[in-house]
Amino acid sequence: MKNAINKVRNIGISAHIDSGKTTLTERILFFTKRIHAMHDVKGKDGVGATMDSMDLEKERGITIASAATYCEWLGHEINIIDTPGHVDFTIEVERSLRVLDGAILVLCAVGGVQSQSITVDQQMKRYKVPCIAFVNKCDRSGANPFRVIDQLQEKLGHNAVPLQIPIGLEAAHQGVVDLVSMKAIYFAGANGENVRIENIPQDLLREAIQKREELIDAGSMFSDELTEAVLEEQEITEEMIISAVRMGTLTRQITPVFMGSAYKNKGVQPLLDAVTKLLPCPYDVKNEALDMDNDETPVTLSGELEKPFVALAFKLEEGQYGQLTYIRVYQGSLSKGDTIVNSRNGKKIKVGRVVRMHADQMEDIETIPAGYIGALFGIDCASGDTFVSPGLNLTMTSMFVPDPVISLAIIPNDNKSQINMSKALNRFSKEDPTFRTYVDDETKETIIQGMGELHLEVYVERMHREYTADVTTGQPRVAYRETITRKAEFDYTHKKQTGGAGQYGRVAGYMEPVNGTKFVFENKIVGGNIPTQFIASCEKGFRQSIVKGPKMEFPVTGIKVVINDGASHPVDSSEMAFVAAARGAFREGYYKAGPVIHEPIMKVAVETPSEFQGAVMGLLNQRRGIIVGSQDEGPLCVVEAQVPLAEMFGFSTVLRSSTQGRAQFTMELNSYKQVPKSIAEELAKTAEKEKKGK
Amino acid sequence: MMMLKKELILKNPLRFIGKETQDILSEGGFGAVLARAGVGKTALLVQLALHTLLKGKYVLHISLDDPVNKISLWYKEVFRHLTQSYDAKNTNKLWEDLLPHRFIMTFKVEGFSVPKLEERLTDLKEQNIFSPQMVLIDGFHFNDTARTSLSDLKRLAKNHSLHVWFSVKTYRHEKSGPGGMPSSLLDVSDLFDIVIQLQPEGKKIHVMTLKGGPADSDRPALFLDPATMLVKDII
Repeated sequence: MKNAINKVRNIGISAHIDSGKTTLTERILFFTKRIHAMHDVKGKDGVGATMDSMDLEKERGITIASAATYCEWLGHEINIIDTPGHVDFTIEVERSLRVLDGAILVLCAVGGVQSQSITVDQQMKRYKVPCIAFVNKCDRSGANPFRVIDQLQEKLGHNAVPLQIPIGLEAAHQGVVDLVSMKAIYFAGANGENVRIENIPQDLLREAIQKREELIDAGSMFSDELTEAVLEEQEITEEMIISAVRMGTLTRQITPVFMGSAYKNKGVQPLLDAVTKLLPCPYDVKNEALDMDNDETPVTLSGELEKPFVALAFKLEEGQYGQLTYIRVYQGSLSKGDTIVNSRNGKKIKVGRVVRMHADQMEDIETIPAGYIGALFGIDCASGDTFVSPGLNLTMTSMFVPDPVISLAIIPNDNKSQINMSKALNRFSKEDPTFRTYVDDETKETIIQGMGELHLEVYVERMHREYTADVTTGQPRVAYRETITRKAEFDYTHKKQTGGAGQYGRVAGYMEPVNGTKFVFENKIVGGNIPTQFIASCEKGFRQSIVKGPKMEFPVTGIKVVINDGASHPVDSSEMAFVAAARGAFREGYYKAGPVIHEPIMKVAVETPSEFQGAVMGLLNQRRGIIVGSQDEGPLCVVEAQVPLAEMFGFSTVLRSSTQGRAQFTMELNSYKQVPKSIAEELAKTAEKEKKGK
Repeated sequence: MMMLKKELILKNPLRFIGKETQDILSEGGFGAVLARAGVGKTALLVQLALHTLLKGKYVLHISLDDPVNKISLWYKEVFRHLTQSYDAKNTNKLWEDLLPHRFIMTFKVEGFSVPKLEERLTDLKEQNIFSPQMVLIDGFHFNDTARTSLSDLKRLAKNHSLHVWFSVKTYRHEKSGPGGMPSSLLDVSDLFDIVIQLQPEGKKIHVMTLKGGPADSDRPALFLDPATMLVKDII
């Protein structure tokens, strides 16, 4: 790699649908000479039907939205990383965001801050990603970039500061005034490639001076040098302003705002300049890994090339030549021929090809140093795996994977879909450890499991879109569990002597609730009442029993079984007999031990404009939710609650309709709790019906 | 579990300042806990709240500084210390029972106003979601304009039949007026029925009643244990 690390930018472009993300990405690739012709996103009929970026990709034969596209601008290397557009909190979103060092938030000059911009912004906030804003579509009628800036401040709580003002709006939009250099910038030529710098038009001069003062005011919070210059009325240089604004941007205390129209090729080059000047290089960002030898304590990664190698596989892509694994290197460097270890399973891997992705082709390279993004070929791994030098035991993501809480049956509609579906499922479970799949032995249906309704919906949608797998889904089901509430004894004899070899085994002992673990088996038999060779069979029998609890056929957890007595027969006792005896003993003890059903309780956080707070609380309250509290954050308000998952089905739709689509929620598993009696009875009834139906 | 509840109720921190019988504040009453930063205002407020919760009443905790998670953690910690010597299974169950009786509301200091609180409160009550008997306000700014807000709050407290406890941050350099009352509270002290100050003394924290305490002064001095921030039993 030819450049110093401070000239590398790993950025994402996020936007609301239809605010011009695809067009902007396309223009960026054009101006950085990665592609050589521009195509319009709009359909040929000119009606304005916006094509999907996926269709555009197909038509162009390139992957604009590939996991990481590389381009160059003013001697800087820019990696544009695809950020998933969906709202649900999943591990995948987390991964993409942690690979970014900075982002461009694209907003529509007419539509302003829309609901998805809010979502995207919240994700950025969560991962502390510094961003700059681009107000696009200044050529559209009704465009008003200053209203968008106000919304950025009010709706998103950003300290949004314009670094430009537009020269003309709507049809008269010609260019922008740069408030740092105090020059007017026009974009001439067929594709706006000729940037013409002139003096500021007279009629805009006053506004420009006033806005520049506001900019300096905002910047002086972050630079003593600038403050001094202002106070002592010295000359304020461009560098002073840029360095102050950069300081503010890196700490997310300023959001610099740029404007233009990507479609009309206006304002894209200054935006790229800003990416190089204002957004952080990998060095500016602190990255942490977890030390597996030390109870997952966070360790700061230094980014030095001499240190041992640490990288994260953030995306897998199925290419023509097999699996392509995108990695971001955080420390050390990776060269062709190196041996690395996948810290998830300890497998050693020899690195064959190391490549870098361009918009439409790949390039073989020798090494990927820290801070860079590259791809590896033919490596079998899952997305989210950490690669390290042999001897290190670090991981970029916590190894803790929560158990899925919801499941859904999916049925392929035809043979082709069946094949595609299994391909898709194979891929998804590699990408996302919280997504699981299996075939139900009894119904022979394929079941997918995940962390929430939306989580599964996203995958079903991806199956349709990316794999053209036509599937029908069943009703989502909550992953209930069974457990016991008190100690109970059992003493069961399994006896069968009806012709042929007999079966005999007696198992006695007790079972009791245990916290924090699924199953504990303890053997307290003395004197060989059950011969040692059959103890394992007893354990097997108990383990078989907990897979489907006797009460409602849900898995049993939190149970300890102790055996302390038994009997055997010299001829009729066998392994099989003791497995059967243990199962009988389990059933006997279980009903005496006060079995109950537990359900997953979700920690739900709803972010809503303050005016809908009451409505949101009402909705949560209706769903057997306990509202923990509400947090006022200026114009927005977060309501936190604990709600049973079973009550959360369809919540997103209800929430949308009662808040004009302006509230959204995240949820994650909080704990398992006993279901109220009335609900348990209902569950029992349903189970009964299903049994009869079978 | 009933036993556990009863025993815990007996541990009422305020029993020691001679207010063991009934709720010490009537409807519309104000109480204040004064201390310098980090001495244990929130911990004492949370103890008061837990005590009220144990009696089956509803508590609204308003914080102007900390996020919901942090407040929630305070409750867990204080509850854990309180119930340390009891069987975990019972205490877990009790905790689950208390949870629905508590509601945490946080505001940014500048975003907090009495009309806003009233609006929220009415909303909660009308929808039958939550109706508190006790309100804690942690982090309220006692500045020049406080009197107006406090008077409004008093009216609100009376209307909604609840009493309010405040935490008041004091400063080392702050001069105290008559009765040891800090200057920030002097102008409004007439609105308060009880004022308790926490004063670090060596390794202990002295709990002093500045206003509304018992008349007899022979009561033993009362201390907080800095490790658990709980009121120490008098030996």
